[in-house]
Amino acid sequence: MNTGLPLNQPKRRISVHHLSYLILILLLLLVPLFFKESNSSLIIISNIAIMAVFAMSYDLLLGYTGIISFGHVMFFGIGAYTVGIFMKKFDYTWLYLFEALITVVIITATLSLLLGALTLRLKAHFFAMLTLAVAELFAVIGNKWRSVTNGADGFSFRVPDIFRDRLIFAYVAIIFMILIFFALRQFTLSPVGRILQGIRENEERMEALGYHILSYKIISFIVAGFIAGLAGMMYGIGTRFVSVPSVLGVDLTLDALLITIVGGVGTLIGAILGAGIIEVVSQMLQSFAKTYPIFERWLLFFGLAYILIVLFFPYGIVGTMRMVWEKRRYRRRGSKS
Amino acid sequence: MELFITLTTNGLATGMLIFLLAAGLSLIFGLMSVLNFAHGGLFAWGAYVGTWVYMNTGSFLVGIVAGILTGMLLGLIMERLIIQPVYGNHIQQILITLGVMIVLGELIKAVFSANPQGAPAPSWLSGSFEAGNIIFVKYRLFIIITGFIVLILLQYVLTKTKLGLIVRAGVMNKEMIQALGVNIKKVFLFVFMLGAGLAGLSGVLLGPYANVITPGIGMEYQMLAFVVVVIGGMGSIIGTGLSAIIVGLANAYIAYQWPQISMAVNMLIMIAILIIRPQGLFGAKEAHSR
Repeated sequence: MNTGLPLNQPKRRISVHHLSYLILILLLLLVPLFFKESNSSLIIISNIAIMAVFAMSYDLLLGYTGIISFGHVMFFGIGAYTVGIFMKKFDYTWLYLFEALITVVIITATLSLLLGALTLRLKAHFFAMLTLAVAELFAVIGNKWRSVTNGADGFSFRVPDIFRDRLIFAYVAIIFMILIFFALRQFTLSPVGRILQGIRENEERMEALGYHILSYKIISFIVAGFIAGLAGMMYGIGTRFVSVPSVLGVDLTLDALLITIVGGVGTLIGAILGAGIIEVVSQMLQSFAKTYPIFERWLLFFGLAYILIVLFFPYGIVGTMRMVWEKRRYRRRGSKS
Repeated sequence: MELFITLTTNGLATGMLIFLLAAGLSLIFGLMSVLNFAHGGLFAWGAYVGTWVYMNTGSFLVGIVAGILTGMLLGLIMERLIIQPVYGNHIQQILITLGVMIVLGELIKAVFSANPQGAPAPSWLSGSFEAGNIIFVKYRLFIIITGFIVLILLQYVLTKTKLGLIVRAGVMNKEMIQALGVNIKKVFLFVFMLGAGLAGLSGVLLGPYANVITPGIGMEYQMLAFVVVVIGGMGSIIGTGLSAIIVGLANAYIAYQWPQISMAVNMLIMIAILIIRPQGLFGAKEAHSR
């Protein structure tokens, strides 16, 4: 899975990069304006942005560090539930929103540090299994601890009024996504990020070079958990409703996995692209369900597509495109010399 | 005392049911280092097809056979089409088997229904009898006996036959037995189908035990099977059997006292074992990466 950038990049390309990012951001910021009449479209747009953040945090584990966690949803759920509980039990003000943010940071960081320190030593299979179990444990606790979570029925709550405007919230979500994208991009390009990619490529070699693998994996796990918690918070603010199936169900982990795989592991842009595709296609399939009942099982089609992609396009859309691109560049360079 | 014996038979029955599911999981992992995240899907398919055949033919035994065959057939398709291309690539294996799990679960909802389905016990196994003051439910005893027969058979095949010798040697050192001229791919396929068939069997047996089957049973029992293989250690049938009995009994006793937390206790046991003794109580395979 070598998706790393070439070491000696000419300077010109970087500025082209910057320009294309700028254009991309402007385009993204224009999108909600086209849909400002339709509340349901704005909700979809906000969802895409939030799921993109969730998937990017997942990609940091899967694509950049080579860790498979099947329990990523627990961080998302913690974020969503914390907002819900703070808004419901205290008051729907900015102050409590800020306190909820601090709480989410503390809980997700502590949880991922503890869990990571105890379990990241395990082999991939066991780690995947264990995280699945821990996430299930969270779902069980969420279901049973009804006085706080109200179980599968969930509860609705109010948020500061400004977020009730769908257009504003769509902008908040998109800006949130862009900020997280650049933060994570910086992180993956930083020395720590490079070491993580080294671990993904060859753990033994990195250890032989003197890096303490476990600590770096824990760092990756903490950052990913913390960002997933933020995504959960945004989700809570956007829907103003939390329940165990909607924010702690295994299917959310699967969504993140699907988005990452479809978009391309090890590429942050892929997560954004994948989130858009998955969200739009699932809406389309669900609308077909009225005429063709088989489409009620839209997850079935996603599952099949997912298997095919893992088998035949393990690098996803962005990864495959990048490979074709690189190949062409090398060929051109080869013919010149 | 009566209560204790009742709970114990309950626990043993649950334990044996999980053992049937976990044995395949454990053997497959022991031999091929593939942790099959779709094992619960095979189990659920066994349950649905088996129950359907049983309801339509009226014969529970035919239903059992159908469940086993369903498991084996799905196992064959899965091994050939999906697992084989990704042998050796752990990340892809884990990702793809989870994908199969989703597809199998959704297919059940599409083919049968997303609603729970009743699965009564056949007349010759329903009801109970009294011995002294203690009431034994016939079906539970049936599960316990079936489980022990399978346990003994598996252990016999693994320790006393040539095939078992190859499988055990494969668990220990794949490269060596390949060098000795054994076609390891055939052995892989055999073990995978065996495990899948056992999962199917376990699924059919679950129906009358729980009285109702839902598409969610796959994931639910898969988690229990994971707990069992983690405690028992991968690749050991006796270890899996013992730990299945431990988990089943612990479940029965705890669920009687505190029904709310029995699942949580299972998870906590598994987490604790993975952290303290990752190779399991009886296993030899290391779970740490070094």
